[in-house]
Amino acid sequence: MSLFVAAFGFGLVSMSVIAIAAVGFTMQFGITNMINLAYGEVMISSAYVAYYLNKAGISIWIGMVVGALFGAAFSFLLNRIVYAPFQRKGTSYLGMVIVSLAISLMMANLLLPIVGYYSVSYQEGTGGLIRLGAIILTTNQILIIGIAVVVMLLIHGLLKYTRLGKAMRATSANPTLARNCGIPTQRVVDAVWLITGALCGLAGVVAALNSDSFAIANGAAFLITILAAAVLGGAGQPYGAMIGAVLIGLITELSAAAWSPEYKEVVAFGVLVLVMVLRPQGLLAKRGAMAAAG
Amino acid sequence: MNSYYAINLLIYAGVDIIACLALNLQFGVAGIVNFSFIVFQAVGAYTAAVLSMPPDTAPDYSFQIYVGGLQLPFPIPWIGGAIAGGLLAVPVGFVVLRKLRSDYQAIALLVLSVIANTVITNARPFLNGAAGLALVPAPLADLFDPATYGYFYVGLTAVCTALVALVAFRIVNSPYGRTLRAMREHEVAATAIGKNPVALKMTIFIVGGVIAGLSGGILTGYITFWAPSVWLYPETIILFAAVIVGGRGNNLGAVLGALLVPVGFEEVTRFIPSSIGPPGLIPALQWVAIGLLIIGFLWFRPEGVRPEPRRVFEGAPD
Amino acid sequence: MTSRSDQPMLVATDIHRHFEGMHAVDGVTIEVAPGKITGLIGPNGAGKSTFMAVLAGTLPSTSGTIVFDGKDITRLPAYRRARLGLVRTFQLPSEFARLTVLENLLVAAQHNRGDSLFGALMGKRYWIEDERKLVQQARTLLKRFGMTAKESDYAGTMSGGQKRLIEIMRALMLQPRLLLLDEPMSGVHPKIVQEIQYYLQDLRHEGLTILMVEHELHMVERLCDTVVVMAQGKVIGSGTMSSLRKQQEIVDAYLVG
Repeated sequence: MSLFVAAFGFGLVSMSVIAIAAVGFTMQFGITNMINLAYGEVMISSAYVAYYLNKAGISIWIGMVVGALFGAAFSFLLNRIVYAPFQRKGTSYLGMVIVSLAISLMMANLLLPIVGYYSVSYQEGTGGLIRLGAIILTTNQILIIGIAVVVMLLIHGLLKYTRLGKAMRATSANPTLARNCGIPTQRVVDAVWLITGALCGLAGVVAALNSDSFAIANGAAFLITILAAAVLGGAGQPYGAMIGAVLIGLITELSAAAWSPEYKEVVAFGVLVLVMVLRPQGLLAKRGAMAAAG
Repeated sequence: MNSYYAINLLIYAGVDIIACLALNLQFGVAGIVNFSFIVFQAVGAYTAAVLSMPPDTAPDYSFQIYVGGLQLPFPIPWIGGAIAGGLLAVPVGFVVLRKLRSDYQAIALLVLSVIANTVITNARPFLNGAAGLALVPAPLADLFDPATYGYFYVGLTAVCTALVALVAFRIVNSPYGRTLRAMREHEVAATAIGKNPVALKMTIFIVGGVIAGLSGGILTGYITFWAPSVWLYPETIILFAAVIVGGRGNNLGAVLGALLVPVGFEEVTRFIPSSIGPPGLIPALQWVAIGLLIIGFLWFRPEGVRPEPRRVFEGAPD
Repeated sequence: MTSRSDQPMLVATDIHRHFEGMHAVDGVTIEVAPGKITGLIGPNGAGKSTFMAVLAGTLPSTSGTIVFDGKDITRLPAYRRARLGLVRTFQLPSEFARLTVLENLLVAAQHNRGDSLFGALMGKRYWIEDERKLVQQARTLLKRFGMTAKESDYAGTMSGGQKRLIEIMRALMLQPRLLLLDEPMSGVHPKIVQEIQYYLQDLRHEGLTILMVEHELHMVERLCDTVVVMAQGKVIGSGTMSSLRKQQEIVDAYLVG
């Protein structure tokens, strides 16, 4: 029994990592209509950026900030140089999926000769252990949960209270109408890629910190989990992604305790398939609208 | 050119042509973005292998653990492989092809490809996990001496390729092919003229699965080995690159793509010494080049080197 | 193409279509008489196109029944309805762009032995006879609608009016009993509008039943035998144009001129 309580604790950390990533991913889809299959690779790249800084003696927490900045810059450029031109050309949704898959493949293989096949890990003390009943977490993990909470609050604040956030919601619901109402869609899109890119980069470093080790190959596994959370919550819905992350985080950790940790992505995949079959619009329906939950 | 090299080249060319013809039917003609194509080839290969291998309790085979081991004679394992490919297409197609929008379909199939590889790798007793199946019996090997066996295999592959080409040709250049293309162009309009898109997609998905399964049988009979490392999800992408580059929607384009990309491209880079740069640099750069090919063609020439031809009927006005 | 009888060709009873809290179609009942052209008019957002989509089966109805030529088709998917002879065209151009004009027509034909996996695998000799007959049929249609010269051009390269004609010809290849036309004149050059008008009148003389959504009231007056008026998802009146003009509420709500 305490195994499951401990798994619940891991679930809290898992859901935190997934939430940061999934919210960014789903916002990219909701506002720019782009299923960015290169998202996992950008996460891993940011993790490696932080790794090299870490090797040079810089604290991983600063590495996180740098990773976020890297993610923001890279994602912004990726959209400007590749995705946006193809979209302007009128490429179909399927064509864009193929393009993003090609990019993801290129990124993984450009990185490989540089960083190598073997897994690496951060040099950072895990900090002390904190016990809450049967839940045992390291200080780092508690901090990760805290970071996730702060990020979620910031995103909520952005969407609800700022002009940019409102513009994002409008563009997500109806881009043509938004443009006709004078919303500078180009700038909104740029802002979206910067912000979600930062989330992506941050998530990459956080995910790597939470694992014993990581390598390029982890990119695909991340992506599956993020996809599951985003689709479960409702594609394009940031609050949905948060809910999806909570559920996926818990389900995968509990199943890892019940069966085997190797199959975490398989469980996530199973959830993804179930959602696609039973309720493809996800929990928070209404594709394209970013209405707040509740 | 030494004959071993030529034999190798011809067999891989045949298998790649078969695979590209099948993928073209699914993607180029019917518009199904089957990112899990390689899984169907794998299922055919594994099936052909376990149908032709002796049981894992046999003396030389006991270092592996796998199901089956029926030691059936050729051509049963290959037929079994083809059927397995078709059978797998049924539940997969049933889940993915009915109600989902097309980009979700593509994602679901892509994820399936990753997960299938993970599951097979980790479930060791099923198909010997990461190590894969080795010592797969080569079909009819005892009828030939080693020197001539290679030529036999080339002939066998050629026959299969011709068969698949005939099927693909008949489908694409028929009223049925026209219906598939119409569905690809505008699915809702196709329903308005009485076409059932789910039935059409399922059928082509299964046909493609059967052909993919056969190609797996041919491959595994030749290399006498099959493991998860051979069928990672990016392998499908090479085939997509081939169909996009060669020209989708038409068989000639698919054949051309197969010769240009998996065959031609691999052959050209084979001559670059692998000692340049860090280990694994050349294969990694190959992948980068594949990605660039896809993006380049989608941007500059999405119809491919040999575009889908415009059909003119006899008696048309000039 | 026709069934001359006193039975209405189509009876839609109390059709509702709710979606995400909006009642696009809010209890619509209509009868379409055979061999006549019935117009469906109303202001923007009245739910006309949604209703047409429900009739065709492209959208499911939330409740209500549809009986087509005596047969309950409420549960049938769109492609089945098309095969029974209930064929629709679309408001936005929906030709098969990378098929030629002739192919667009050929693909709509129902009875072609080559239009199945089995037929295809049997080879050309199996289906070439059917194909030749259908090519003849299609070419006759092309001639009638004046597009013979374009038969081998890609449908996607045609003008708006030509695409509209292709869609109508395509629908005719199915030998429909009821044609649902969604704004057939929209986006079409005035000269071709005239032509389409004549074609529709010819078809009506041949006994085809037509239900069409149309904005241009003069067109409606000239073409339609009866008219149904919708507003805010409901039917607010039906009859001939002249009788409708006499109903003040309808004039106020919609009819101008």
